[in-house]
Amino acid sequence: MARNCIVVNIDRCTGCFGCEVACKMENSVALGERWSKVLTVGPIGEYPNMVRYALPTMCQQCEDAPCVSVCPTGASYRDSEGVVLVNKEQCIGCKYCMMACPYGVRSWNKAESCVEKCTLCGHLTSQGKLPACVKSCAAAARFYGDLDDPNSDVSKELAKYNESDIHTLQDAGNHPATRYIMTDMIGEWQDRIQPKSHPHTAAYPVVG
Amino acid sequence: METQWSLVLFTALSGAGAWLIACAGLDAFKGLTKKSIQPAVILGIVLIIVGGIASATHLSHVDRIMAVLAHPAPGIFLEALLLGIDIVVAAVFLILVRREASAAAQKVLAVLAIVMAAVFSYSCGSSYMMASQLAWNTVALPLGYLGTAMATGTALWYGVCAVRGEEAEARKFAAMETLVGAVAAVVLALAYGAVSGVMVGESAVLFWVGVIVCGGIAPLVCGAVGLKNSAAATQLAIVAVVGAFVGSVAYRVLMWTASITLMALFGVSI
Repeated sequence: MARNCIVVNIDRCTGCFGCEVACKMENSVALGERWSKVLTVGPIGEYPNMVRYALPTMCQQCEDAPCVSVCPTGASYRDSEGVVLVNKEQCIGCKYCMMACPYGVRSWNKAESCVEKCTLCGHLTSQGKLPACVKSCAAAARFYGDLDDPNSDVSKELAKYNESDIHTLQDAGNHPATRYIMTDMIGEWQDRIQPKSHPHTAAYPVVG
Repeated sequence: METQWSLVLFTALSGAGAWLIACAGLDAFKGLTKKSIQPAVILGIVLIIVGGIASATHLSHVDRIMAVLAHPAPGIFLEALLLGIDIVVAAVFLILVRREASAAAQKVLAVLAIVMAAVFSYSCGSSYMMASQLAWNTVALPLGYLGTAMATGTALWYGVCAVRGEEAEARKFAAMETLVGAVAAVVLALAYGAVSGVMVGESAVLFWVGVIVCGGIAPLVCGAVGLKNSAAATQLAIVAVVGAFVGSVAYRVLMWTASITLMALFGVSI
């Protein structure tokens, strides 16, 4: 099965929030909700040894997706392309998937009283187009494709870097597919962060 | 995370009902009461059903609830299945008692009722064991669900025995059950408090006052006093029931308020 996901090259990301806006426009995401969010990690450390970088986040397309395993109706499911999706017509609104998501990247659609999230713009990719966030990225920092296909955009971009420069968000056994490329040009990768407070986008590493 | 009152009431009421039926089942072996088994089982069934209805109010699309049957998975499906089984077990036990069926048949159902109380009240908590929730992902959480439900159910049994005017020996044994339930609540809640860290910090007041003192110490003292003073059983049982139920609710509220998500990147809280 394919492992379709987004790969973000943080070395290239300028933190312009264009992907966030493109996602909201393409998917008509409600005011105050997001399927894609750019966090600004840091600044961390003491001058001159400081790090600060933009971290675009979205559904991480986990290989062992806890949202799928806890869903009592099968509304959260993995499609034939390996993409984790929500069938909103089967969602009973129990919000178990929101509790089970290690990254809190699921949204509550108040109008439809159901859960929703990044779909990897399946309505576009099924026509051979790119997800809105990838297409709109002004810095060409976002890539879409199958990790298992060596000719995909994501595989080709990852192949340019050492293993030590490729990261994921903290793995709690769910195995997130989304990869982040960040070299020491930017600084030290922080694998567990928390936003300062909603709706601010500033995020800091979790101490301890 | 915001307290999900529907789910708090579901597990507190249904768990108590299951343990009340279990106590009635235990009496099928002891044979101490004369008038308490039937009202206790009926009250237990009512509590389980009311709890089940409370859980349904948590859902935004109850009309789609039958889809649960198409996707058997841990969590909601298992809870609903166990809830249904417990009601069937209790109903059959009630019919056997009413028809004065053989003692052996009653004892078989009694054993099932006791096992179901433990399994059901534990499973209600185990649904929340998720790697994403750092304060929930411990076996101590469902054990605390079991202990606090046991304390409420045994205290309710004590109350039923007292109100139905059972003899001193039956009331004393019910007080003993209340004592055992309270000890289970204290020990298991303390275990969860220590493992999850909620016994200190922002949740400490709710934990110590709500869960331990109200939910554990109060019914424990009532049970201990009731062992020696069967005349005050009604008053003691009322205090034990109120204390245990408050503690059971406080434990479940604590779970929600103490939630720590691995990474809440969107800052969204349910």
